[in-house]
Order: sequence, then structure tokens, then C-alpha cells
Amino acid sequence: MSLLDIFMIAIRVAFSAFVPLCFIAVCVWMERRGAGFFQDRSGPNRAAIFGFRAAGLVQNAADGIKLFFKEDLISDHIKHKFFFVLAPIIVFFCAVMSFAVVPFADTLVLGGNSYVMQGIPMDVGILWFLAIAGFSVYGIILAGWSSTNKYGILGGLRSAAQVISYEIPMGLSLVSLLIVYGTVNLSEMAQFQGQLLFGFIPMWGAVLQPLGLIIFVIAAFAECNRTPFDLAEGESEIVAGFHVEYSAMKFAVFFMGEYVAMFASSAIIITLFFGGYQIPFLNTQALIHLAKPVAFLLMIGLPVVMYYFAGWIRRSNVSHYERENDPRVFEANVYIKCFWGLIAIIELLLLAILLMQSGGAATHIFVALLQICTFLVKVTMMIFVYIWVRWTLPRFRYDQLQKLGWQMLLPLALLNIFITSAVVVALG
Amino acid sequence: MFAEVLFIAFAALSVLGAMGLILFRHPMKGAMSLIVTMISLAGLYALLSAKLIFVLQLIVYAGAIMSLILFIIMFLNIQDNDLPVEEGRFLYLAGGIAVIIPIASFLIKIVNGLPDSQVTIVGNGFGGVKEVGLILFQDWLLPFEIVSLLLLVALIGAVVLAGKRRLVK
Repeated sequence: MSLLDIFMIAIRVAFSAFVPLCFIAVCVWMERRGAGFFQDRSGPNRAAIFGFRAAGLVQNAADGIKLFFKEDLISDHIKHKFFFVLAPIIVFFCAVMSFAVVPFADTLVLGGNSYVMQGIPMDVGILWFLAIAGFSVYGIILAGWSSTNKYGILGGLRSAAQVISYEIPMGLSLVSLLIVYGTVNLSEMAQFQGQLLFGFIPMWGAVLQPLGLIIFVIAAFAECNRTPFDLAEGESEIVAGFHVEYSAMKFAVFFMGEYVAMFASSAIIITLFFGGYQIPFLNTQALIHLAKPVAFLLMIGLPVVMYYFAGWIRRSNVSHYERENDPRVFEANVYIKCFWGLIAIIELLLLAILLMQSGGAATHIFVALLQICTFLVKVTMMIFVYIWVRWTLPRFRYDQLQKLGWQMLLPLALLNIFITSAVVVALG
Repeated sequence: MFAEVLFIAFAALSVLGAMGLILFRHPMKGAMSLIVTMISLAGLYALLSAKLIFVLQLIVYAGAIMSLILFIIMFLNIQDNDLPVEEGRFLYLAGGIAVIIPIASFLIKIVNGLPDSQVTIVGNGFGGVKEVGLILFQDWLLPFEIVSLLLLVALIGAVVLAGKRRLVK
């Protein structure tokens, strides 16, 4: 094993372990500001460090510090303390592990060796996600049961029944997708989606399997215990459900686990249905071929986008009443300068790409970075859909939830399998 | 070398989990130890490069079946005074081990007596989803269909039994 091999392994493991953790902050911020946006209010934007509020991101740090320094208590009536502590760890660990098989860039070719860009290079792909997503219900069951609390038990029971019944439509909608792709390997699926249908439509799973997409997304929402399927928490009926007895960091671990699970399932939805890391109309070969024109276009496009972004920052970051020497204008100017500095660095890197010989290692790395950015942008958009749904739809009643799972999604998924296999067989 | 360490770890974990299953008094602890056994068995399958069986073990046994068992245990709401008193269980364990030791040593002797053969990882995607599927649907189609019919019969039986009880009420 050469030094480069070890470095690449470290890079890919670090990416699939730390990016979900970093996205916790982004998700929480998006959730709060998104909630504010949908409910026509500002959301948290007051917490500041030396007057810098970073659009509300500082609030996350404040909350983190608060949870960290809170008293971490376990009530006396809890007998099975081991399971009580184990439960949040299981939830969090399973959420992080389920992201490990998602490819975030195409196989990187460097000096004749190829490096798979996913945390665990495993060819069982989507099956691993199903297995690990099924494990996370243990955390919720154990938390509900070991809390020795009626609300906790009810939350755990609801969550277990829900996850078991929604795993079936999820698996069945995957079956029709597997018939189309002919593989369970997520890397191969993403490569398949780089093709074009009829020469002009990207061959994404969403185009080939629209019904499968709807079923899978609904089941994934249920699997994440997100509204409209958050009966396990149901704060208006059973207070907080399975985590009612948890405080401080143990609660925070549940909370972070929920957001990591949301990130992981967004990543899976993107990889299965929205082309993964593929840029539409530009698959990896085309990108390597067209690296220089793409870099040139980015060099022109980035400052233009940044100009309008700076204008937006300036417009939205002012006080709502007359103030002398408005500190918020000063704050906005600092942000704009930081962003322009970032753009300047990116421009220099793009210039370096333009000056280098095409087809070399630099081009391959450039393409991989572009694909990673595409992947993260797509995942962020999918997370926004999660937040959008959460603040738009009310919670289901329990019998409605089971009816939807067993009487709507299950027959639809079965129908989808028959239609898909008929079409695939007919097309040969 | 690495694979051997993993093998020993998984084997030890699966035996410990099985012992926990029979020795713990509380059914929840027993079920959790059974999950440990299931997961370490999956690890052993992975070491044998049976990737499909590895994932199926995780999804079906460690995932679905065990979460149903936990679900039932939670439903029953077992208190400490509901549990039977099992005072002689360590005595029984010692007796069981004493019975098993000669058989186990005999088995170890047999395994050691086997002719040496090269132990290598089978290549060409052995045990992968595609390969298992091709063999299952080409060479073993009839047995496969018969097994699925058996499962169907069990499924209908479960539905009929569940429906009958409601009629009696």
C-alpha cells in the first residue's frame, strides 16, 4: 500500500464520518430559519459573538454549549441504566453508519489506480442502508422501554410498529428500482444515471421510476420519524415520547442522531433517484474531457453570482429602524468581504486548472471536487424538502398512518413492481 | 491475520451472546444478547465472503425478527416479580459445559485431522447478489418455488389464525 492509497482511504472515511456531523449544524440552522420562513417570522437571529450573528448559525453554538453544561441526570426509577445510556448511542451510531455506503464522487483515477469514493467500499450498497436503518429502531425501543414511563413506552411502541410497517413499502419500491438498474451497488447506480434518455433527458431514477420515488420518499420520512410521521415524539399527545426522560447531552445525541439520519436518507434518495453526484448532461467522461471549458465558465459565473449574493446580504442585513452607524451594515460588509475572499481563492484554483495540462491528475481531482459539490448541493436541497414538509403538513393520526402504509403504499409498490418488470421484459 | 483476529472476535461475541440469552433473568436483556449473537454471526458470514447472506442476516434476523421480539417484550410489561426464580441456573450451565467438553474436544480433533487444503478467498464475486440470484433461479428454481409456497402457506395460516380470534370475540 503506497502513501497515496492510505491517504485516499483516510480522506474517504473522514468524509463519510465528518460531513454528516458538520451537516447537523446546517440542518438545525435550516430547520429553524426554514420554520421561521414558512411561518412568516424571522427565526433565531439574535445570538451573536462580538456582534456577528452569521444569520443565526451562532444560535446552534449557544444551544450546543447549553446542552453540554446542563446537568446530566438519570432518574432513580430507571432500573436498566445500561440500556438507558445505550439507546441514544445506538440511534446516533446507526445514523452515521448508514451514510457510509453512499458514493459522493465517481471513482477517482490517480496514477493508474482507481479509488472508490465511499466510506465503506461495499457492493451490497442499498441493502446495507436497509439493514442499518432497521437497527436504529432498537435505540428508540430501548429508550422508550428503559425510561419506565408510560409516555416513553407508548412512543417506543408507536415507533417500532411504524418502522416495521414502512420498511415493507420501502423495500418493495426498491425492488422495482433494482429491476431498472440491474444492480444493488450504489456506485454503479450513480454511474447508470449519468446516461441520457432519448439523448436529452438525464436518466435519473426520478424519471424512470416516478411512482417508486413517491413511495420511497414517504417511507424514508416515516423511517426518519419526521413530521408527518413523528408519532413517536408526538409532543402534543405523549409529551416527547421515547426521549421524555432524557436530558442534557443524552438528549442532544438523540437530537443529532435525528438530523444525521435525515442527512443520510436525503443522500440515499439523491443517489437512488436524482443522479447522485452526477451533474445533469455532464457525466464523468464528458467532465474530464470538458474540464477546461467548465472551469472557464465557473470563473466567469462565480463573480456574477457573488455580486447578486452580496447585494442580497446587504439588503437583508440591516436594522429595521433608523440607527446611527448601524452595526448590522458593518456586519454585512465583513461577511461580503469574507465571501469575496473565498471567491478569489476559488478563482485562483480555477486559473491553475486552466493553466495545467488537461487529462492529468489535477483534472481528475477537479472533476471529483465538482461532483462532491454537486452531491452536497443536491443533498441540501433534499433536506430543504424534508423541512418544507415538516412545517407544512400536520401529524397523521395513528390509524391513518397504518392505513396509508398497508392499504395505499404496499399495493402501489406491488403494482409498480409488476409494471416495471413488464416494461423491462418488453424492452428486452 | 486481520481476518483471524476478526474471526476470533466474532466467534467469542456470538458465544457470549448465546450465553447471555440463557443466563440473563430479564427477557429484554436476553433479547439484546441474542441481537449480539445475530450480528456476530453476520460478521462470520461476511468473513466467508457470503455478502448476500451477511446482509440478509442483518436485515431479516438482526433487524426485523428481533425488533418484533423486542416489540412483544415491551407489550408484555414484565415486572421483576413476574420472573421465575432460577437459582440453579449456573449449576445447570456447569453441567452442560461438562457434558459438551468431550464432544467439543472430539470435534476439534476431527477438524485437526482433516487433510490440509488451501484456504483462499473465492474470487469472481462469489456470494454476491447477482451470483446467488443466478444460481437460485437457474439451478435451484423448483426448490426455491416450493420454499416460497411453504412461506405463503405459513402467511395465510397466520392471517387465518389472527382473524379467527376476532370472530370469537
